[in-house]
Amino acid sequence: MERTETLTTPHPWAWWCWAIGIGIAVSGTTNPLLLALIATAVVATVLLRRSDAPWARSVKAYLVLSVFVIGMRVFFQMLLGAGTGETVLFTLPQIPLPDWAAGIQLGGAVTAEGLVNTLYDALRLAVMLVCVGAANALANPRQALRSVPAALYEASVAVVIALSVAPQLIESAQRVRKARRLRGDQARGLRALGAIVMPVLADAIERSMSLAAGMESRGFARTRGLPVRGTLPLMLAGSLVATCGVFLLLSTDHRLLSVLLLLGGVAAVLLGLRRAEATLRVTRHRPHPWGSRDTLIALSGVFAALIVFSAGGDWGIGWLMASDVLHPSTDPLVWPELTPLMLVVVALVLAPLPLTRVRPPQATTSLRNDTRVRSLRPRPEREPELVAR
Amino acid sequence: MTGLGAALPYAGPRERPATGARAWLALLVAVAVGAVAFSWPLFLRPESGMSATQAPVMFAVVLPLVLAVVLSELAGGRMDAKTLAMLGVLAAVGTILRPLSAGTAGFELIFFLMILAGRVFGAGFGFALGAITLFTSALITSGVGPWLPYQMLSAGFVGLFAGWLPRALGRAEIALLAAYGMVSAFAYGWLMDFSFWPFAIGDGTQLSFDPAASALENLHRFVLFNVATSMGWNLGRALTNAVMVVLLGVPLLRLLRRAARRASFVPANPARPLAE
Amino acid sequence: MITFDRVRVTYPGATRPTLSDVSFDLPEGDLCLVVGSTGSGKSTLLGAVNGLVPHFTGGTLAGRVLVDARDTAHHRPRDLADVVGYVGQDPLRGFVTDTVEDEIAYGMEQLGIDPVAMRKRVEETLDLMGIADLRRRPLVDLSGGQQQRVAIAAVLAAQPRVLVLDEPTSALDPTAAQDVLSAIATLVHEVGLTVLLAEHRLERVMQAADSMLWLPGDGSVVHGSPRAVLAGATITPPLAALARAAGWDEVPLSVREARRRALAEDLRPTPPPRVPVAAGPSALTASDVEVRFGEIVAVSGVSLELAERSVTALLGRNGAGKSSLLWALQGALSCGGDIAIGGRDPRRLGAAQARRLVALVPQTATDLLYLPTVAAECDQADAESDAEPGTTAGLLRTLGVDVPGDRDPRDLSEGQRLALVLAIQLAARPPVLLLDEPTRGLDYNAKAELRHIVDRLAGTGVAVLISTHDVEFAAAVSRRTLLMADGEIIADGDTLGLLTSSPAYAPQMAKVFAPIPVLTPDDVARGLR
Repeated sequence: MERTETLTTPHPWAWWCWAIGIGIAVSGTTNPLLLALIATAVVATVLLRRSDAPWARSVKAYLVLSVFVIGMRVFFQMLLGAGTGETVLFTLPQIPLPDWAAGIQLGGAVTAEGLVNTLYDALRLAVMLVCVGAANALANPRQALRSVPAALYEASVAVVIALSVAPQLIESAQRVRKARRLRGDQARGLRALGAIVMPVLADAIERSMSLAAGMESRGFARTRGLPVRGTLPLMLAGSLVATCGVFLLLSTDHRLLSVLLLLGGVAAVLLGLRRAEATLRVTRHRPHPWGSRDTLIALSGVFAALIVFSAGGDWGIGWLMASDVLHPSTDPLVWPELTPLMLVVVALVLAPLPLTRVRPPQATTSLRNDTRVRSLRPRPEREPELVAR
Repeated sequence: MTGLGAALPYAGPRERPATGARAWLALLVAVAVGAVAFSWPLFLRPESGMSATQAPVMFAVVLPLVLAVVLSELAGGRMDAKTLAMLGVLAAVGTILRPLSAGTAGFELIFFLMILAGRVFGAGFGFALGAITLFTSALITSGVGPWLPYQMLSAGFVGLFAGWLPRALGRAEIALLAAYGMVSAFAYGWLMDFSFWPFAIGDGTQLSFDPAASALENLHRFVLFNVATSMGWNLGRALTNAVMVVLLGVPLLRLLRRAARRASFVPANPARPLAE
Repeated sequence: MITFDRVRVTYPGATRPTLSDVSFDLPEGDLCLVVGSTGSGKSTLLGAVNGLVPHFTGGTLAGRVLVDARDTAHHRPRDLADVVGYVGQDPLRGFVTDTVEDEIAYGMEQLGIDPVAMRKRVEETLDLMGIADLRRRPLVDLSGGQQQRVAIAAVLAAQPRVLVLDEPTSALDPTAAQDVLSAIATLVHEVGLTVLLAEHRLERVMQAADSMLWLPGDGSVVHGSPRAVLAGATITPPLAALARAAGWDEVPLSVREARRRALAEDLRPTPPPRVPVAAGPSALTASDVEVRFGEIVAVSGVSLELAERSVTALLGRNGAGKSSLLWALQGALSCGGDIAIGGRDPRRLGAAQARRLVALVPQTATDLLYLPTVAAECDQADAESDAEPGTTAGLLRTLGVDVPGDRDPRDLSEGQRLALVLAIQLAARPPVLLLDEPTRGLDYNAKAELRHIVDRLAGTGVAVLISTHDVEFAAAVSRRTLLMADGEIIADGDTLGLLTSSPAYAPQMAKVFAPIPVLTPDDVARGLR
């Protein structure tokens, strides 16, 4: 039996949940072996499950960015390293800076301990970046927009308008630029920019008026009721409480209290958003249902984060995976270890693979060949095959 | 014209004051939360057991919620079709200006539009425009990540404070906006750099963030780090803002004000929706 | 279904009401055409039907507008969305989403229709408008005609009982316009909607209309049967002009009807004399012009000569290479071959020099305007052309447009804007003028005005080349016609001979009187004298 397109694509928020979970797990370890395995698993999942949409190519950019981050960190460590550790690899010429520079010295001895420490930390950040890149590559941003909570409906409409008007404005700018020659205008640089920006902006504003007329006469905001009393104070108080929670989490050791505040605040905001939702009765065409498979994908990320964090913390399953396995010592240098539980984390990263299916490549049928415009433009989705043809 | 109410032209005379107060409250909370979120390196202590890499990520959980609350309050049910369409179209303009300008030392074209729009349509619109422009741009360039809430919030502030600038007319207005463009460019750069400073350089160097050190000492280190690495970008951004405001400010303000006038009349015979 | 009761609309700052004391009743299931020249209040009338006037546009509305027994004073446009579907001029500007299916569903989402029912209605609407094969396509990739059909489908999906269309074809080329108009006619006949349609390409729809609203421009409205209204109106589609020339009291609504009557009355106008294509001194010589876009050859090996004081029409379907040829002749598009105007090649000159040899008015003429006032544009044009200050403003007046200099060019009517761009381009005194699809969005009067302008220009020695889809306009304005297909010129000859012998490009008068070679109602009037 053939299934429809919506069924073969996991929910975009499921991918985000998976990626954020892994990202949080990654933030809890500096073990290079685990980090390398997770990175490989994430990249493998992306390569096997991404579509051919323009955003699916973004993972490459994130890989490049990761390498750049590692390189920059290492460069700064060598230039400005505090010189901890004893294993001196080589020594750079020293340049002392004047007093106002807080006694900073450029150059000096480069130690293996300092370098490895930097490398581990940079690797952690790099793998977190790869996780973000994976979510960007796997989740369809338009689908994600369609599933925002109703309280954010108007904001999502503004984003949808921006996404669909942007390519049209590019075309309008290109037309205006071509037309400049007809008036004999050969201005370059900023003056020419003005001559192009002004008509394009004027056009954009005209466009917004006819767009608004269209929205208005097609019933926009027709079912939006007045705000529910008390919702806003609840949400604002919730945000403030959650912020306090994070503040305490970062500045004190009252962990339990701060986590409770954070969770309480988040819950209050979510409740408020939920209540605001009730005043809008807009429905969705072809809603993307959240299935059990989406739950599994999301849970795999959540569990990965839980395992790493409960292992690192004082409670939970700390006896299975000691904190020094997650954070191998760099001074003195020891060889990092790999434990069975770590392989479970990697398995969780790979969990979406058996839950989803390969998407066959599709030919694009765009009539235009302007790449910049096309990359901004929505792709024609694949025609769903009928159920039980 | 620069009041907050201008962003909500169709709210109807009866609803407007209450709406304004609600939106003000939401924006003030956003400013307060933003102030804490951007300055976390000042209060992160070693005894908390959180590393500098985890701290911004913690806020990346809270900030989207705050943004959601503020945007739902600014837009939800109170922005009429005209304001929303204007918001979407201007965000589209910003979105295409961003890739045009990225890459060349701080030559960033998106901010002057937010400043002018915030000035004309009010603080609430400015905030929404800043946040939504950055969000749309991130969607198009696949740049969604923990930094996005920070970017949205700080770009929102650029538009927000533009709406709160004092009254001025003619040349004084352009000078005011250009000056604000420079100040806001530096403020934006510092906020972003500060909150992601430990990310950029890591720990263990002499310019790194050190949780054990005092707030003042960390600030000193940051200033040195920032001057060494980002001065060019911030300066470039500031000059771009000022030059664009001076060059295009007069015609653009006229264009936007004309649109605001056309969009913000009060209907002569206001309609009441039938009781449902 | 629709009742206007002593409606008067006044916009803020206006000296007189746009509509005054308008009363009419439109029964259910009627197709009513709204006609009137630009600025006569057509859009206001249509906007009042779903409450956009005054709720959205501002202004005061006195009197009452009832639609399906709902008073627009108490219902905002959004509250009428399930009764009135409103389609504007440029479809692309009204789209909220970016794919066909999403756009069609948008209105239903706003009405809160259940997703299951919505899915079914989307399918039905796609079939109704014959666009099922486009369902997943991005809206920007569609042709203008397809876009407008999607826009109509998008409002139909909410199942309104009234459809209001405000010049739905003014931004389209004639092929697409015909496509859309026949879709509308089908809707009226098969779905039984009440349709209010403002349109200036009357020849396509008047036979399907049940009634007609004519706005003479003074705020009043004349309502009646199309035949009766057209007989008195100053709006003259070719068949109405024919009725006047032949002294008929009722206007025939289709070519078939006119032909029958002409045969019955044995009306035989003497054909105008065939003038050979003037072989005056050549203003522009081009040979082997070739334009390529990557793999695609848009213009392949075109050679042509334009004589001084001549008006030449360039016809051909969309994508035949007409626009590319004009841009190439201006030198603004890199191309192969030789182009010479007065012995000089515009491609080798700078842009400022090239426009003194040959001026081009592009399809979207507004692209050339970027200053805030008409006066500023005129001064800038004087500076660009090194002309005496006031030259452009003077030209604008001789083109028949007299607007205050502090007006924003965007507030001008379509025809006035075209005249402004024309004046700007003519300030450089070019011996050759190229017009790309100039009649788009112009009403009959503006087209006639443009024809006189072109005649006068040719009289001063300018060689004019007009690319157009509008056969009636080409027939009236030009002596020589070029036919282009697939990047090549496939026919070149005198307009009379070429158009009367072509079934596809024959103007209505030629069809009515075939085989007698006449082109325009003017020809007929002269031939009957």
